Amino acid sequence: MKNRLKVLRAENDWTQARLARELDVSRQTINAIETGKYDPSLPLAFKMARLFDQPIEDIFTEIPVS
Amino acid sequence: MNESKRPSYWSWALSDPGTERFQRAGRRLLVTMFVWGVCQSGSSYLIQHGFLPAAGPIPWVVAALPSVVAVFLLVGYSRMLREADELHRLIQLRALALGFGGGYFVISGYLLLEAAGAPTLRVDVLIAVLPLLYAVGLVLGSRRYR
Repeated sequence: MKNRLKVLRAENDWTQARLARELDVSRQTINAIETGKYDPSLPLAFKMARLFDQPIEDIFTEIPVS
Repeated sequence: MNESKRPSYWSWALSDPGTERFQRAGRRLLVTMFVWGVCQSGSSYLIQHGFLPAAGPIPWVVAALPSVVAVFLLVGYSRMLREADELHRLIQLRALALGFGGGYFVISGYLLLEAAGAPTLRVDVLIAVLPLLYAVGLVLGSRRYR
């Protein structure tokens, strides 16, 4: 799964720690999602979509399996 | 913030301590763990060195005390899991899997070695493999998602 979390965070001029606070998760979780090491749960993805006021599919895109 | 500051061993090992609520629950758990450790070693010392009367309820109470504290330890651990965010829950799950799964295979493997002539180890030494592997799992998981 690819995501635009880092871009959206930069657009808001937020640090990982600030975004983590907004979403009530750890900074490590934000970093793991941004670097693609971890895919968030659906509730957390919805929370992100609400926070950035964007549809989920605009934040997360599936990498097609070749 | 001083960017050139050398990271502590804890921050190297655990990468990020998690949310404030998770850390609070973790601190409470550490205190309970300390109380359990004191009760366990204290009870063990009193019983093994014959400081207790041979009959009556006192030896039973002293022997049961660590198990009572262990109930609080389990409640504290499950509370800590509840306060953890989803990534930290995954890290905990993998650490537990390594601790119990790996621990079981190490212990059963060593029991076979003992049967073949390896030195006999005390049960508490063998059981210590479980929390040790759990700790290794925590460090590996934290490093993986740092």
